[in-house]
Amino acid sequence: MDAFASALGAVSDPFTLLAIVTGAIIGIVFGSVPGLTYSMALALVLPITFKFDTSAAVGMLLGTYIGGMTGGSVSAILLGIPGTPSAAATVLDGYKMTRNGRAGLALGGAVLASGFGGVFSLLVMIVSVDLVARLAIQFGPVEIFALVLFGLSTICGLAGKSLVRGMIAGVIGLLLMTIGLDDMDGVARMTFGWTPLLQGVDLLVAMVGLFAVPQIMKTLIDYKLDRAFRLNASGVRSELPTFRQLRNSFWLMFRCSALGTAVGSIPGTGGPIAAFLAYDHAKRFSKEPQRFGKGKLDGVMAPESANNAVTGGAMIPLLSLGIPGDPATAVMLGGFLIHGLVPGPMLFTTNKPEVYLIYLAIFVAYVTVVVFQYFGIRGFVKLLKVPPHLMAVGILIMCGVGTFAIRNSFLDVYMMVGVGLIGYLLMRARIPITPIILGLVLGPTLEREFRTAVIMSEGSFGVFFSSTTAVIFYALTIGVIGFHFYGQMRDAKKTRDAANSKKAQQQGAN
Amino acid sequence: MTKMTLKSVLLGATASVFLLAGLNVQARAEFPEKPVEMTVLFGGTAQTIGQLLADLMSKNMANSVVAVSRTGGGGAVGYSHVQSTPADGYNMVWNSNSVSTSHYRGNMKFNYEAFTPIARVSVETPALAVSADSGWKSLEDMAKAVKAGDSKLKVGISGNGSFTHLTSAALFDKMGIADKVVYVPYGKGKAPVELLAKRVDAAVQWPGQFIPHQQAGKLSILCVTGKDRIPQLKDTPSCAEAGATDLNITMWRGLAAPAGTPADVVAKLQDAAKAAIASDEFQSAADKIGFEASFLPADEFGSLIASDDAAISELMGKLGLKK
Repeated sequence: MDAFASALGAVSDPFTLLAIVTGAIIGIVFGSVPGLTYSMALALVLPITFKFDTSAAVGMLLGTYIGGMTGGSVSAILLGIPGTPSAAATVLDGYKMTRNGRAGLALGGAVLASGFGGVFSLLVMIVSVDLVARLAIQFGPVEIFALVLFGLSTICGLAGKSLVRGMIAGVIGLLLMTIGLDDMDGVARMTFGWTPLLQGVDLLVAMVGLFAVPQIMKTLIDYKLDRAFRLNASGVRSELPTFRQLRNSFWLMFRCSALGTAVGSIPGTGGPIAAFLAYDHAKRFSKEPQRFGKGKLDGVMAPESANNAVTGGAMIPLLSLGIPGDPATAVMLGGFLIHGLVPGPMLFTTNKPEVYLIYLAIFVAYVTVVVFQYFGIRGFVKLLKVPPHLMAVGILIMCGVGTFAIRNSFLDVYMMVGVGLIGYLLMRARIPITPIILGLVLGPTLEREFRTAVIMSEGSFGVFFSSTTAVIFYALTIGVIGFHFYGQMRDAKKTRDAANSKKAQQQGAN
Repeated sequence: MTKMTLKSVLLGATASVFLLAGLNVQARAEFPEKPVEMTVLFGGTAQTIGQLLADLMSKNMANSVVAVSRTGGGGAVGYSHVQSTPADGYNMVWNSNSVSTSHYRGNMKFNYEAFTPIARVSVETPALAVSADSGWKSLEDMAKAVKAGDSKLKVGISGNGSFTHLTSAALFDKMGIADKVVYVPYGKGKAPVELLAKRVDAAVQWPGQFIPHQQAGKLSILCVTGKDRIPQLKDTPSCAEAGATDLNITMWRGLAAPAGTPADVVAKLQDAAKAAIASDEFQSAADKIGFEASFLPADEFGSLIASDDAAISELMGKLGLKK
């Protein structure tokens, strides 16, 4: 208890509080601007924290991480461009809600779901860090491969009317990610001997290109042809979900938060996978799945609660095993180490006050994020009053700056534009964009885990059926695909029956 | 009189040219006149140390050193960028043995000679760890068990052709079990988890990743691959002591600028690096992160790079990794 008291003392120090709040706001800004991400925010904040004492430094890093994870939803909802890869699933219904004039409700729902997911995962971490860590390391290459394969099956739900088009999109995503240096064997792939291309396609660059560029082009073309979409911005209020809506979505948020925490705790998976699985789950178990993708609040709350639950989940292997799950947590690990906090099994016995400090800092960061974003809604929605064609130019500049800043590479800017032009053509060919993102996100993990599993088994493919967990995921995958075809057949039959009965009626009338 | 004037004008002009030239020398002596860019090739702790070093170097110079991240291609992207910049000291790279591994893998057309060494900054020594449940207390125990058994030893490394792979290959070659090893390449930082979950039998990684787990009694660190023991693991023998005769592999990190950078500029950067490394802040960061802060001046650093390059070339040739 002494440890808790001293941690409480450290967190309530005005400077520490200020550091957490500042971090959270920096995170939200970086998260919400397309092209800038929280990984970048963390890299920028890190040198500042060198000079702080431990509590302020840890607080600022955690605040930035959490703010960034939440901020991604703002641009996903308002502009249809996810601020971070984790918010890609939020676009599907969030942006539709904006176009229906309900941006305030979407933003409000997103921030509440984010806070719920974050605090949920924090509680899981506090109660069962040891247990979850022990379960998480049981996820080896075979199990992660199976989980990711299951993740890919959600293409069925995202593909819309044509599964073939969805598959084409997914494969494009998988192929794009093979460009560059292969980490496992250190060989160059599809670079044509050109060194700069060794860096490969950055996920964020491709994402910005695919979401932002086609939309900017469409906006400008529409403006030129004088058929621009006009939004009645004066009607947009910062409307919060009603108590009834929240109560109806409570179990959904609960399930998606559990899912996010679980996925987050497995090193090498991360936010985007959790968000897509949550979206698919919400749609599949909804009473009105046909309304998803047309602006349903649950379609925003599910991925947002899941991707924020990932933060707590990812902290579990980071703190208890010293294993960073993604580049962002790797930066945090560096910051912790410099202040003498060595994550690992001993942390919980040797550094109790610091562990409590981390818990409290995460809580404070979430309070900040929810308060800031909620009161910010009024300001955020004002963005919609800007004429779309002017907004498009601003977004284009932001995207250019953002993609350059990821790794100070101009090639990335060209890549963003190139991928964007392809994205525009695909859009005209009615090929959906989201499955491409799914391929981009899941492809590298899928490939890496597959190869590791085969190397470990010395070439035997039997290894893929050696784990019960993996077999369960295969079964789920087959189930999802089978269910999809069954549903399509039933729909087709219904249409046919309807046509037949109409014919019969007509004949009867004759 | 007019002639005189002309003459004096000429004289004056010549004098001022000399004066300007002199000023120029002085301006050069006041390097840097603008911020110096330090290209960082990797994320994680390499980035953390790089940023700290840049911060501390800034304190000893007229202008700041800025750490700029150019990751990708196993370092090849950043090396290529710095190599293509003017050799005026305003661009340097936070480099490592990766300059040799990238070159011999065929990912970079130029080799270490494209850079002028500035200073070595740190040394990191890989360590070999096994699961505590394996019952192996020493390197000899492990080698004996592997020789006697039928199955191959699965060793977690960071990637084929990576530094930890080369280190492991050299180590197991010395122990005479090179043909009974399967290397399992993982992304950054994942090998210790795989070892904890017993999906691999051993792993060669950086000590900082193993120490907390050894303290918790889950892993045993059998040896470190340098010729000497390391400060964080005083009770752990070097692999050479433990039976791998003469094995001495460590990874250095340091600073280098494009070849042809003037010697006085290199000297300035070298001195700034030296002061930064000697600072309490850097030393304490080294203790906490788990590397050895170890300055080496430009000339000695240069010969180290050259000798390591030859060793890496030979090792990669032997492993069939060279292109």
